[in-house]
Amino acid sequence: MKYFKPLLGLAALTGLFYSCNRSFLNSSPLGSLSTAQVANKQGVEGLLIGAYSLLDGQGAVQGGPASSESNWIYGSICGTEAYKGSVVGDIPEITEFETFQSTATNDFLEAKWQALYEGIQSANDVIRIMRLAKDMTLSDTVEARAEALFLRAFYHFEAKKMWNNIPYIDETITYASGNYHVPNDTAWNRIENDFIYAMNNLPATQPNVGRANKYAAEAFLAKVYMFERKFTVAKPLLEDLINNGVTAGGLHYALLVHFHDNFDPATKNGSESVFAAQMSVNDGSLGANGNPGDVNNFPMVGPVGCCSFFRPSQYLVNHFKTDPVTGLPDLDNFNDSDVKNDEGLTPDSPFVAYAGTLDPRLDWTVGRRGIPYLDWGIYTGSNWVRDQTDYGPYSAKKNAFYISEQQAYTDNSNWAPVSTATNFNLIRFADVLLLAAEAEIETGNLENARGYVNQVRQRAADPMGWVYQYNINPATGSQDPALGNSGVPAANYKIGSYTQTWTDPALARKAVRYERMLELGMEGHRFFDLVRWGIAQTEINNYLKQEQTLRNYLVGVTFMPCNEYFLIPQTEIDLSAGISGIPMMNQNCY
Amino acid sequence: MIYNPFSISIKEAVKDIFFTALLVFCLCASVFSQQKITGYVTGINDVSLEGVTINVKGSGTGTTTDERGLFSIFAKAGDVLVFSFVGYNSKQVTIGAEYNLTVSLTETPVNLDEVIVTGYTAQKIKEITGSIASVKPEDLTAVPAGQAEQMLQGRVAGLTVITSGMPGSPSNVFIHGIGNFGNVTPLYIIDGVQGDINLLNPQDIESLQVLKDAGAYAIYGVRGANGVIVVTTRSGKTGKTKITYDSYYGTTRPLRKGLDLLNPQGQADLTWLADRNSGDVDPNTGNPVDPYYGNGSTPVLPDILVAGPYTGLSMSDSNANPAKYNINPANGSIYQIIASNKTGTDWFHDLFKPATSQNHTLTISGGSEKNKYLFSLGYLDQQGTLLNTYLKRYTARINTVFALDKTIRIGENLQLSFRDNPTITNQSPSNEIFTSVLAWPIMPVYDINGGWASLTVLNPISQSNPVAARVLAQNNTSNYWDILGNVFAEANVLRDVTFRTSFGGTFNDYYFYTYNFSDYGLSAAGIPNNSVSEASGYARSWTWTNSFTYSQTFRNIHKITVFAATEAISNFNRELDAARSGFFSTAPTFLLLSNGIAATQTNSDLEGASSLYSLIGKADYGFDERLFFSATLRKDGSSIFAPQKRYGWFPSFSAAWRLTEEKFLKDSKWLTDLKIRTSWGKTGFFGNTNPLNQFDLYGGSVSNSYYDINGTSNSPVQGFRNTRIGNPNTTWEQDIVTNIGLESIFFSGKLNLTIDWYKKLSSGLLFPVALPAILGAGTPPNTNVGNVENTGIDVLVGSKGSFSKDWNWNATLTFTSYNNKILHLTDLPYFDLQSNAGTFVRNEVGHPVGSFFGYKIIGFFANSNDVNKSPVQQDASPGRFKYLDANHDGVIDDNDRVFFGNPNPKFTVGINLGLAYKGFDFSTFLYGSFGNDVINVLREVTDFAPYPPGFPFNSAKSKIALYDSWTPQHQNAIAPIAENSFNFSNLGAVNSYPLENGSYLRNKSMILGYAFKNNWLSKYKIRRLRIYLQCVNLFTLTRYTGLDPELSGASSAWGIDFGNYPNNQKQYLVGINLGI
Repeated sequence: MKYFKPLLGLAALTGLFYSCNRSFLNSSPLGSLSTAQVANKQGVEGLLIGAYSLLDGQGAVQGGPASSESNWIYGSICGTEAYKGSVVGDIPEITEFETFQSTATNDFLEAKWQALYEGIQSANDVIRIMRLAKDMTLSDTVEARAEALFLRAFYHFEAKKMWNNIPYIDETITYASGNYHVPNDTAWNRIENDFIYAMNNLPATQPNVGRANKYAAEAFLAKVYMFERKFTVAKPLLEDLINNGVTAGGLHYALLVHFHDNFDPATKNGSESVFAAQMSVNDGSLGANGNPGDVNNFPMVGPVGCCSFFRPSQYLVNHFKTDPVTGLPDLDNFNDSDVKNDEGLTPDSPFVAYAGTLDPRLDWTVGRRGIPYLDWGIYTGSNWVRDQTDYGPYSAKKNAFYISEQQAYTDNSNWAPVSTATNFNLIRFADVLLLAAEAEIETGNLENARGYVNQVRQRAADPMGWVYQYNINPATGSQDPALGNSGVPAANYKIGSYTQTWTDPALARKAVRYERMLELGMEGHRFFDLVRWGIAQTEINNYLKQEQTLRNYLVGVTFMPCNEYFLIPQTEIDLSAGISGIPMMNQNCY
Repeated sequence: MIYNPFSISIKEAVKDIFFTALLVFCLCASVFSQQKITGYVTGINDVSLEGVTINVKGSGTGTTTDERGLFSIFAKAGDVLVFSFVGYNSKQVTIGAEYNLTVSLTETPVNLDEVIVTGYTAQKIKEITGSIASVKPEDLTAVPAGQAEQMLQGRVAGLTVITSGMPGSPSNVFIHGIGNFGNVTPLYIIDGVQGDINLLNPQDIESLQVLKDAGAYAIYGVRGANGVIVVTTRSGKTGKTKITYDSYYGTTRPLRKGLDLLNPQGQADLTWLADRNSGDVDPNTGNPVDPYYGNGSTPVLPDILVAGPYTGLSMSDSNANPAKYNINPANGSIYQIIASNKTGTDWFHDLFKPATSQNHTLTISGGSEKNKYLFSLGYLDQQGTLLNTYLKRYTARINTVFALDKTIRIGENLQLSFRDNPTITNQSPSNEIFTSVLAWPIMPVYDINGGWASLTVLNPISQSNPVAARVLAQNNTSNYWDILGNVFAEANVLRDVTFRTSFGGTFNDYYFYTYNFSDYGLSAAGIPNNSVSEASGYARSWTWTNSFTYSQTFRNIHKITVFAATEAISNFNRELDAARSGFFSTAPTFLLLSNGIAATQTNSDLEGASSLYSLIGKADYGFDERLFFSATLRKDGSSIFAPQKRYGWFPSFSAAWRLTEEKFLKDSKWLTDLKIRTSWGKTGFFGNTNPLNQFDLYGGSVSNSYYDINGTSNSPVQGFRNTRIGNPNTTWEQDIVTNIGLESIFFSGKLNLTIDWYKKLSSGLLFPVALPAILGAGTPPNTNVGNVENTGIDVLVGSKGSFSKDWNWNATLTFTSYNNKILHLTDLPYFDLQSNAGTFVRNEVGHPVGSFFGYKIIGFFANSNDVNKSPVQQDASPGRFKYLDANHDGVIDDNDRVFFGNPNPKFTVGINLGLAYKGFDFSTFLYGSFGNDVINVLREVTDFAPYPPGFPFNSAKSKIALYDSWTPQHQNAIAPIAENSFNFSNLGAVNSYPLENGSYLRNKSMILGYAFKNNWLSKYKIRRLRIYLQCVNLFTLTRYTGLDPELSGASSAWGIDFGNYPNNQKQYLVGINLGI
């Protein structure tokens, strides 16, 4: 007891001054990396991978269909190629776009905006943090910067296509500096500049096939120029790409023999893949890296069995009719009569397929009655789709995978919708060729244009790449997918080249624009193409006029010039004093 | 003893006189015969009182009562016995013929000499300069809620408690209004250590003080701004070992009436009405076509609702053949057959069932002058009326104090507890309360073979089965093991200086298990649609306080106390989460994570830490028991903020003047005591600020930042993204609080009144304001966004007395009223808060926090002519809502949204009434909230329009929807036209339809008790035995049409009803209090 008080006194003094030292209050960022920890070569590389990872449209916000890199809603559904699908009322946001009545509060717009600008700032992080790293050589920083600027320009370009009037966010825009009330404008020059830097500084080949290379940057730069209608500047770039372009993996650019190989995970990153969003499955992400924005776009039978969104329009299908003699499309009157379909029929009622000649690409683009749906079986109509009455008899097909690929290239760890490792080609060589054709037309070289278009058509004409009936199973007397391909074309395919000299630029233009739909249909390009060509109003209203007779919900829908760009999300206008919206509730529009 | 300023001097005078007389008496005393007087002293309702002093008036003889309230003393007839006891009115009894006395004492309403804990120190009530309210433990435990925080409702003026009926659910507790946008929960200090009051067994609480003004709580510095509640747990008292046992057992009854929903026929009729109104009819027949109800001119309820892919079948339909039934994917494709329940399923009452509650606390305590101990064991089993929700809590407490010598004491308080508390997510559209209201009445609970109805994916319209969801949740687990307590040592190091060191804290360990079963089918991958997730973690927090107290009184009139301390606090937590799905068998014994499909696994963990270091000082000066001054100062340094914004000073000053000590009031007959006091001080709050707030951080996961740069299809490369945007300039919110109070006692304690007026200016409020997406996707930091002002008045009126010898009464009224206004927001004009039920809340300068905002309905469009002449409104059509054109520009758009409601009540009251007659006691407690608006989302989705959007009438609807919705013939309707379109002019825009008045007055508790007579008990060596009957929530008076107007939620968005576990269910209990 004698020593208790002194001991207590000692404890008291210790207690009083314990933790006076500053380290008691210094907190460290638990569970995350600080700026200092990523400010080195490997950290910057990690940030760059993070910036690439937004190419699938999914980041902090997993926007799903709203921010899908495939633009199936904004590019294809708004662009006359497809209907929303599923049942009426399922994801009503899409209906707003489809009927050109979207308001600025449609949360899909916000999700798309967020995904793109997250990509942009992730690219900017690479540049900002790179400057703090001490172990990077000059060439390291040039390479990192070039890739980052490529990605930054790509995401801005996507935003530009959507909204036109956008804020350009470079690495100087940060929260800390408080300079984030950035006004929006319609200029292209900074997107160009970033792609130019990337083109001039990226190598032709890369150690990883998914990386942007010199030619990917050049291709996007050319596409930007095409959007700007700067055809003379675009043309040499496109020529260079056609003559010298190689993929990041070193393959010389070329069209694949099999058209469908562009959409097959087993043949991805081939010679036609200029730049793609790389997809992966069974990687612990529960499907989040495998086309998460398109998981709902499978038919009800066959792969996945859900949820029948993204259903090709009759208008799209009619484009594939060809002349029985020349194998060429009827550019003007293709929509006067429909390719026969089975709408209103049950799977067991008899159906006689359309006998006319068709472009073989149709049956890689659209699932329709009586045609093998990859190796899943014969597409039998109404049981393959949900709500045929409202959204028609067709299903999307480019996104589908083969049964044989089901384990290696699909991810079943999520619930019903299945994720796939199918890459999405953000730009493929056929696109480059058709852009080159356009550039040639606009610069007066119609014959060069014809050559490019024919290149694309000739690949499609190669019977190697057609859809064939299955062999007949003798036991049942009907086609059996398990028995493989019979060598009998699934439909009456006939496709030919443009053999006559092109002399009329208007006609040539029409042919190229038409060809883009045949080749790139359901790949999210059409709406943006129509807008850049300045024919969106005519073309979409033509489409609506005809489709209103088929699809009740399109009755009364009209496309106005103000629909050429989407509305800037209301939230972003509210949060940023700098951005001005396109008039929100434009009375002329609604 | 009544506090009476005159009593001392009178006593002194009396003493002098009698001292002289004593000599005389002593001389004569032996002449009269002394008798042994025995007796028993009780308080109200015969509670035996231990330690009552009994003096023979005029003699030196005295004694005290023992632990059973018994005494014996020698006196003679004619002597006067004076009974006095702290906190009770003293009583004089003249000895007559009766030598065995039973004396009952009445309590004084306020005992000004009582010493209460005021935070770091303890003070006599009369010396306190701040605004502090005490809650008596017996008041606290009068309402048999599981958690102490719920028991505070209505007990303290200025304290608002909003809670739900879910066992173990957290409550919204706020002192003096809503001072910020994030977290308004007060700081709980339990035995000197920050802790969670809900971990405590409420029976273990000895005293509870609510510190309400800066004078009282500024000493808590950066943690103090929401007010502080100081809890002291019970400790042993000198005397023989005492054993007490308190228990109750009872039953909670579900609400008799759920919502007023249609029966199946009504639902079908409504579908027909909506189809016709919407023009969704077959053009040939003019009749609606429905997959369930056919296509006739009137709907027909089918025999079989669903059979495989078919719907709306007759009993004889071959597709409904029970032989086709299969819900086991192992036996082929799923084919579920569900018969219609034509009389209607009462989902609400299939989910809510009568539930039992029981509570037991056994306490053993005692001690000597040197060492004291208390040991208590508690068990609570509170079953919720909603299936598989309950709180089971086991607690063990050991509190001891040892005096090593006259100057050194050491001791500890320790509680171990285990809680088993499976809950639902309250106020969520995914919980079963919400889905029970939406589930079709025609759908039965079970299919034809006893499987859960509707759990197949392929129904044309998917329906959830809330009963299945609750039953399947039966093995869900939420377990918490908590250790809570402190050790301390105190020494009188110098004559007037005491040193105290206290080290304490909490250690919490928890484990959650959740099983999910979505449907009978298989996923596309061919695996069962079920999943298991588990989480476990721990959190520890310690507080080490070292203090010196110097206390001295000079010349009997200058009393000085100085307190100085240092305090260090450290918090750490860590959690591990994992999940898998696709379990082959659903047998509970099989459902371990490792048995799920490996490819479906996810796992993650999280970690957090923070620390606080403080210097604390307090000085009190009292002059002649008349004037009191107090000043506190605290310096806090918090790791949550960046170094340059880490430190802050928090001063306060307060003063009190007891006017009744002054000459001009000393002689007042009616005014017994009057004190006015005032205080000013600064406190702070770090809100919900994450310790990572100051940093820019990078990270990411395989799903959102990895990328397959090598094109492998299955091996993405690790990538990073910005996960958090840092703000090194963020600092704490600062509150400046001014308070003026008055405490008074009238008529020698028959009436007491306390009034406080306050003004609390909170500036630099912390909130993670959303940033524009052009800054990327890092979590935005908390920043100091704005200022809020609260002003208010608290009133406490108490009254105690007796009608006659046997009849005693007491009454207490608490009145709480505050006014809340946002004064300033930095950089933004407003910010909206989204809830799952829509963005009903906008916080904007000039309006109260949490105000309801949207389109205000001014009526229905009467006809197309009305549509044409009204301002242009999207989707305008007869029978739909006509919105207010607030800016008169002829167009209804975003700019026409207005503030239409305020969830803050105009005032709340708590009324406690008690009566005691001999051994009987009766008490009742009422609580009321007045003038608060609520948003009844349930009503919105049941009264009209398709919900969810796009699925016409895929949910149950109310009778209003069918019988009182707009039609051209019935324009004076409650609900708009029944239709299938979901649009801007019905449910598609946030509007004022679901706004209701949420005022209510509730009888929280009514108790009738009886305490057995002591002389009967003492035969069995029982000190005390009381039994009681209690009725909880006997009635609620309200016009609210939902289940319960008491609606909790986030402090910045509350009063919104979307699946609230009602807190107004009746409960009947029997209870016992036993002491030996």
